[in-house]
Amino acid sequence: MTEHTIKAFDADLQELARMIAEMGGLAERQIGDALDALNRRDAVLAKSVILADTRIDSLQHQIEEKAILTIARRQPMAVDLRDVVGALRVSNDLERIGDLAKNIAKRVEVMDSELDLQKVMRGVEHMTELVLTQIKEVLDAYARRDVDKAIQVWLGDEEVDAVNNSLFRELLTYMMEDPRNISLCIHLLFCAKNIERMGDHATNIAETIHYMVKGYALPDERPKGDLTSTTSIPYRN
Amino acid sequence: MNSIAGITNTTPSAVPTVVHRSTDMDHKLVAKVLVRNLNFYYGDNRALKSVNVPLYDRKVTAFIGPSGCGKSTLLRILNRIYSLYPHQRAEGEVLLDGSNILDPGEDLNLLRARIGMVFQKPTPFPMSIYENIAFGVRLFEKLGRAEIDERVQSALRRAAIWDEVKDKLQANGLSLSGGQQQRLCIARTVALRPEVILLDEPCSALDPISTAKIEELIDELKDDYTIAIVTHNMQQAARVSDYTAFMYLGELVEFDTTSKMFTSPGDRRTQDYITGRFG
Repeated sequence: MTEHTIKAFDADLQELARMIAEMGGLAERQIGDALDALNRRDAVLAKSVILADTRIDSLQHQIEEKAILTIARRQPMAVDLRDVVGALRVSNDLERIGDLAKNIAKRVEVMDSELDLQKVMRGVEHMTELVLTQIKEVLDAYARRDVDKAIQVWLGDEEVDAVNNSLFRELLTYMMEDPRNISLCIHLLFCAKNIERMGDHATNIAETIHYMVKGYALPDERPKGDLTSTTSIPYRN
Repeated sequence: MNSIAGITNTTPSAVPTVVHRSTDMDHKLVAKVLVRNLNFYYGDNRALKSVNVPLYDRKVTAFIGPSGCGKSTLLRILNRIYSLYPHQRAEGEVLLDGSNILDPGEDLNLLRARIGMVFQKPTPFPMSIYENIAFGVRLFEKLGRAEIDERVQSALRRAAIWDEVKDKLQANGLSLSGGQQQRLCIARTVALRPEVILLDEPCSALDPISTAKIEELIDELKDDYTIAIVTHNMQQAARVSDYTAFMYLGELVEFDTTSKMFTSPGDRRTQDYITGRFG
């Protein structure tokens, strides 16, 4: 896109995009660390994830301030206005992703069980990988203003939902096998739900990118595959 | 641009009723003024090129574009002010309620009472505030003293300046501040009960408070009048208008609802202009 007559305006918009990129990088690392902590039951790493969340929160505040100042100072119109509003929305989604990672880390301390985690964790790990890819892709699409890539992410969330569904059923089964598993499985269910929510935020960001570039929203109805709210397994005695 | 293509098919004899196909205004709109295939020449210089644009009834239409794009020229055609100057010539049609005001037989005095205009610089007459309003009214209507008084008062009220001048109606119009003078000029226009009001950068010489008062006034006036405003202030266009037309190099590049024009314009040139990327 051609430059603004006022160069400082371009600098303002670039700075917003840079801050989003930094925030996105931090959020990705938080997810990876939270999952490592969960996998290894590493309380120290979990603690550091919890503490690092404040960095993401503070970046969100900075982005908000920068965006408000840019609106006040430059009175952006059309694509510029959508750009600034887009940065606000994306930073909100990234902040929520950070919170969800923190929530997983918080659960590490209280999870205590005899159950062999390895098998269950494979599903959680797979889901995390999927979501991390989604987030990486969507941040890349944001940086390049790539609508096609954003739409791919938007559509890709269905796969995350599918993995979440099967994980949900699996954990239900463990709980039915032995009530001593319930505490751990409930925590893992919440972790899985958190990861699934992160995927939803990635699709929010994809929708924002579409609006920023095209000027109109994607359709309301995204293909959705999260069936956990209607899933049950019959109890057999 | 589709909407403009759509309205050029209406018959000149009838009041053109058009459906403006846009995202957020889906009701039928009547074009009070319809500019069709309008070309304008300053001598040999073609200043407007096949311009098509409607002014919808009781809506505010803003004209934006860089200096020299033809927006003030277009406004000057709408009440035939250009006819005062030699070597200036308009071709095409400007339909006011379906009849072409460019016809040679058009009564220009009557036309200018129907289509009032307010200029960039306030232009009060060098006479009392009262006479500034009454003078024009007397030219067109035979009214008694009480009726003229009433007309002056209601015009000044309408232009949101009554409270500031009611105790000094005999003071010279030129003794008022710039913002007050501009509102006096609007009152003068309103007093003739026109159907269309043309505003050519009415706030460019005013401070922000006076500007806000004029904008508030425009908002009130649009209940009764069809308004066209030329402005260099993009935020002003976004604030006061229902429709916006972007002009460039004598051409009408894009016309759409203001909400669409300032959030996601269709034409690249419009986008570059309103986001400050031009030239």
